[in-house]
Amino acid sequence: MNMIQVEGLKKSFGNDAVIDGVSFSVEKGQTVAVIGPSGAGKSTMLRCLINLETADGGTIQIEGQPLLENGKYPAEKVRRQICAKMGMVFQNFNLFPHLTVLKNLTLPPLNAKKMDAPAAEKRAKELLKKVGLEGKENARPSELSGGQKQRVAIARALMMGPDVLLFDEPTSALDPQLTGEVLEVIRELSREHMTMIVVTHEMGFAREAADKILFIGDHQILEEGTPEDIFNHPKDPRISEFVSKIL
Amino acid sequence: MSDFLSGIAESLRYMGSLSVSMLEGVKYTVGLFFITLIFSIPLGLLLTLLRNSGRKVLRGITGFYVWIMRGTPLLLQLFFFYFGLPNIPVIGDYLVLGRFEAACLTFVLNYAAYFCEIFRGGILSVEPGQYEAAQVLGFSKWQTNLKIVFPQMLKVSLPSISNECITLVKDTALITAISVTEILYFAKAAVNRDTDATAYVVAAVFYLIMTYGLTKLFDWLEKKFSY
Repeated sequence: MNMIQVEGLKKSFGNDAVIDGVSFSVEKGQTVAVIGPSGAGKSTMLRCLINLETADGGTIQIEGQPLLENGKYPAEKVRRQICAKMGMVFQNFNLFPHLTVLKNLTLPPLNAKKMDAPAAEKRAKELLKKVGLEGKENARPSELSGGQKQRVAIARALMMGPDVLLFDEPTSALDPQLTGEVLEVIRELSREHMTMIVVTHEMGFAREAADKILFIGDHQILEEGTPEDIFNHPKDPRISEFVSKIL
Repeated sequence: MSDFLSGIAESLRYMGSLSVSMLEGVKYTVGLFFITLIFSIPLGLLLTLLRNSGRKVLRGITGFYVWIMRGTPLLLQLFFFYFGLPNIPVIGDYLVLGRFEAACLTFVLNYAAYFCEIFRGGILSVEPGQYEAAQVLGFSKWQTNLKIVFPQMLKVSLPSISNECITLVKDTALITAISVTEILYFAKAAVNRDTDATAYVVAAVFYLIMTYGLTKLFDWLEKKFSY
């Protein structure tokens, strides 16, 4: 069974189609990179998967459960329940500025009654160590660099024990010298076979860390394949043009 | 020289006696201040939530309420609630309020409208990404409001809340117009009785002490909320 199965996904804002019939699947343990020119609909597609945007048509199945079926959504409660299996990391981090790093991590599982306070704290410290931020427990987000903030955001998403992690341009708001530390954390998760979809402009990362690449252009998937297929033998001329400009 | 000193001593004694009689009035001033805050802040918050709710009718009603309450003088509202309500045909007899009760009701309803607008501004300043993060982390709507939105709103709103509280201290003097025996009521009586304006100065000192304390309190709060 696929972790995520998408068929004919459609979404428009007003009269502008942002995604026009997108189909793909993600297997358990896969790292899927979504690349393509800006404004092609990559982020919107990702946001539809986790119920941050309401799609207009198509089917989305998360671990076999329909989040969207032929353009019809189940009740909000059911949608939330299905999406609880996924975590998301945003371009702008979206850490809670009024809480310490530790509280940012422990509040979500405590709210959801997934853990008790000592267990949450223990897990938070483990994850902070994993993302290289040991000792930052009591810092406020405003005291951290962009790269550190994003690593906290990744740790926070992991606190809920998600089956799938979605990354929406996780390094686009970072200075070039800070992107490396964030990509390294994502690579590490990839090596641990975390199921991930990463919307990114980092071609080097997509090429070496992804198991599969979706190239989205003109609101559709122009090509789907291994990094080798996409970067070395693209079938669509729009892809070869994009790749030659970037690399 | 001794005449001069005894003159000063006499003035001080006079001011002291005025202060003692005004202390009687402080309980109404302070009482109105706290009752207004305790009830108008939650009411203002509720109005904000209704105003931000998706329902057009609720938005319309709260918008109208805020317009009326902010758009007419507080003194007029005070007269209306104290003198006006009992004159309404049929139900008027049931709407006779004591002076202080009428004052409290008017102030709570009036200040709630201002707090509603202050909080609304604060909520608008919370970034959409905060709601999105809360949603994907499984927060319920209430958890999102309580733990994410309100604390951030409060930080942004604090300077305006501070302003409003200081205005409130001074607005309490208005209730002297419906003969509630607060500070200014005693000051005015003393001035009329003694044909001496000293009582106004003493009353001013009372207000200054209260507003100074509030200023310090809010400075401390703003520091505590800086992150």
